[in-house]
Amino acid sequence: MYRQAHYDEDFLIDYNTGSDYLLEEENCDLPENMKRKSLKLPNLRSFDVSRHYTKLSEMNYSVDVGMYPLGSCTMKYNPKYNDYIASMETFTDVHPMDYGMNMQGSLEIMYNLQEYLKSISGMDCVTLQPSAGAHGEFTGILIVRKYFEMRNELNQRNEIIIPDSAHGTNPASASMAGFKVIEVPSDENGLIDLNALDAAVSENTAAFMITNPNTLGIFDDNILKIAEIIHKNGALLYYDGANFNAILGITTPGIMGFDIVHFNLHKTFATPHGGGGPGSGPVAVKSFLKDFLPVPVISKNEGGYFLDYNVKNTIGKVSSYYGSFAILLRAYSYILKNGNDLKKNTQKAVLNSNYMADQLRKYYTIPYKKLKKHEFVLSTENTGKRALDISKFILDYGIHSPTTYFPLIVKEAVMIEPTESSTKKEMDFYIDVMKKAAFMDSDAIKSYPINTSVGRIDEVKAARNLIMHW
Amino acid sequence: MNDDELMLKSLAMGTFDDLFSDIPEELRVNMDIGKPLSEQKLIEKIKKISGQNVNMVKFLGNGIYDRYIPHLVDEIISRNEFLTSYTPYQPEISQGILNALFEYQSVISDLTEMDVTNSSMYDGFTSLGEAVRMAYRVNGKSEILIPENIYRAKYEIIKNYVYGLNVKFVEYGFNKNGLLDLDDLSSKINDSTSSIIVENPNAFGLIDENAIRVREIKKNALIITYYDPISLGILKPPGEYDSDIAIAEGQQLGIHMNMGGPLLGLFSFKKDYVHKSPGRLIGLSNDKNGNKAFVMTLQAREQHIRRAKAMSNICSNQALLAVAATAYLSILGGSGLRNIASITVNKSKKLKEKMKSIGINTVFDGINFSDNLFHFDKIDILKKKGIAGGIKLSDITYMNGITDASFFSVTEKTSNEDMDYLAESLRGF
Ligand SMILES: Cc1ncc(COP(=O)(O)O)c(C=O)c1O
Repeated sequence: MYRQAHYDEDFLIDYNTGSDYLLEEENCDLPENMKRKSLKLPNLRSFDVSRHYTKLSEMNYSVDVGMYPLGSCTMKYNPKYNDYIASMETFTDVHPMDYGMNMQGSLEIMYNLQEYLKSISGMDCVTLQPSAGAHGEFTGILIVRKYFEMRNELNQRNEIIIPDSAHGTNPASASMAGFKVIEVPSDENGLIDLNALDAAVSENTAAFMITNPNTLGIFDDNILKIAEIIHKNGALLYYDGANFNAILGITTPGIMGFDIVHFNLHKTFATPHGGGGPGSGPVAVKSFLKDFLPVPVISKNEGGYFLDYNVKNTIGKVSSYYGSFAILLRAYSYILKNGNDLKKNTQKAVLNSNYMADQLRKYYTIPYKKLKKHEFVLSTENTGKRALDISKFILDYGIHSPTTYFPLIVKEAVMIEPTESSTKKEMDFYIDVMKKAAFMDSDAIKSYPINTSVGRIDEVKAARNLIMHW
Repeated sequence: MNDDELMLKSLAMGTFDDLFSDIPEELRVNMDIGKPLSEQKLIEKIKKISGQNVNMVKFLGNGIYDRYIPHLVDEIISRNEFLTSYTPYQPEISQGILNALFEYQSVISDLTEMDVTNSSMYDGFTSLGEAVRMAYRVNGKSEILIPENIYRAKYEIIKNYVYGLNVKFVEYGFNKNGLLDLDDLSSKINDSTSSIIVENPNAFGLIDENAIRVREIKKNALIITYYDPISLGILKPPGEYDSDIAIAEGQQLGIHMNMGGPLLGLFSFKKDYVHKSPGRLIGLSNDKNGNKAFVMTLQAREQHIRRAKAMSNICSNQALLAVAATAYLSILGGSGLRNIASITVNKSKKLKEKMKSIGINTVFDGINFSDNLFHFDKIDILKKKGIAGGIKLSDITYMNGITDASFFSVTEKTSNEDMDYLAESLRGF
């Protein structure tokens, strides 16, 4: 039986064992009005810091412990060789403003990664600068904006179309970059409704932002028609690469007709999610958008690799420096290590997802087309229980619940992405737990979870009586 | 049959290809990115590449600093329980990271003496962009006052972040001592001013006495202070001089330089603005048994609920590095941080003396924190001598008027020998 640790652990500030970080006492001259009067920081031994975090870590679930099928998040195994590589001092100690000649190794990694991402996506040029998927979206939409600005069409093209199944970051990024967001409904198969799209597209359309397979895990085989509708209108087609794990090695956004793509390296390319980040969200474009990429891009000439600021109509910068190097490095070594076998990961991820969907169909409604890609969405409505209650019940078995209440177009949605890392045995157990959940008494289920560090949390209280500081 | 075959069979499928029958032939590709490698080969290849990086004596800073990182910090953030988890969408099973992020919010709020700190942003520069957007949401006004010496990269990023808003930038200047010019700034503040970006230490590297006096002239504008987190070991914190939003790059707090990424955006503000703020917030509540319990709170501000009307598009953030920063500050404690900050100021002073002794003077008199601006532009000599440093002011700011000025930066790791070597190398040039 699963039982997560629970400690009544003090806050760091409540320890008072005295810092043992030896530093010689030093003072400096400052004008009186600039001086800090008092500073309240934790004051404890390193050993206590170590124990504190060890205890907290025991109260945290992770993919290294068990299945973590959060839909849309691609929680796969993060190979440890990557962490070793990312800890090499030859990489960690590089200052971003050092001479180019001193960072040839790091630049080579970035250059090679750009090349890999081009091949994998079927696109022509890449920037590694964005810090996460949403940041990549924002960067991509800034490129859309600049493109139309240069064509003197920006005043007119001020709308971005997004399907109602889209992730929240899509409309948020489009709106942050100054566009009006137009939502189009999905059709009865969960796909883009071509008629609705036709009706929504106009001379005001700047871009259409989608992911394929979509957030229901369904591949839209109308994609070439969609691309035609968008391009005929003079607008651009944007690919949210969060679902790349479904297509890597099988097809590419390039061949599907997309103009701009972002990757989530922390999903598809196995870099650790770090309790919420850091991630990395490179953006790739077709060659006609090359001149708009943020600077610098990484280029190569006879002299070696260099930070190339020569991008004619660049949107400027989107990150402080050149991107999340330590994440880029891990993604690069993952691709280099696996090579063409990455396609096998895709196949396995899709097999796992279809297997789970097929088994769970017996207990839950799984709307839309039968054949899924790397993830699928079920509804708990038929069980008379809420997705929330089902998800809390699952936790009690030492497995992480799926994503819930997303996408918004499925009622009581549960979105499952097993990834290639899940074994049949693990999935069978998971299916079994979900079966139990389906047949649980609707009231009794509300008392779960029981075996996690804490039970159900009063979220309303947290929002009403805001405490965000110890 | 192996497991894969069993699963295919249960799906009534013969091969993996059947799983992709929905992808039209014309969209299929033949990916060729090379054969897989053994781990041993991989490491050999990567080591060979990394061997091309060269580590010179460094006087580099201007935002990223080579500070000493206690091993315990790396140890903590290498724990798989933190490293391989994700955003705590299921708080009951994720109390560890939630607790750690709550402590991060607390420790940064204490450091800055601000009311609230969110649980991390991408980096310092993008946080500044988000701060300007937040100020605009608070007061809807259109003018942003910005220091004329601000790093170009910061300015460009802020411009990108407000691309969609109806705002304009007004630059204010610095006096002959390199400090914020209060008269100039004051003359530019009016009813349309949304926010005033103030840097302390300022972009010349100077501890700026005028920065803390902006409150006297701000009228109804919001003050956005960009600070150096190490400097707060000794300097008056932004909360004490009425900053509405306080922003910093947190790399110095236990995060390796890594060529400038990933970084950590520190984002703090007055509590009145919490509903207009970007990013994730961790709140304290209790579970149904009365145990102390943490959750992500005020999520209705965020993209997954508010979509196009969200306060920001940020989703994945820099959580793990926020844990690193908390561990770093806890290991050092208040006295440790004060000592490191004092050492930094004293090393800057020593560097200025040594440079002066060979005839290289600072552009401004004043107290520098880490970055020191000298009349010097012979970068080629540095390169030949194996010294990395000498970032030209005109390369990283719009201050094209001062053409012969370069920065040399120090941290507690800068040794006397390094400084002597620099001075010896530049003697006579
Ligand atoms: C479909 C989709 N798009 C975009 C994003 C945003 O990515 P990130 O969290 O890296 O900013 C996500 C992440 O959860 C996603 O699932």
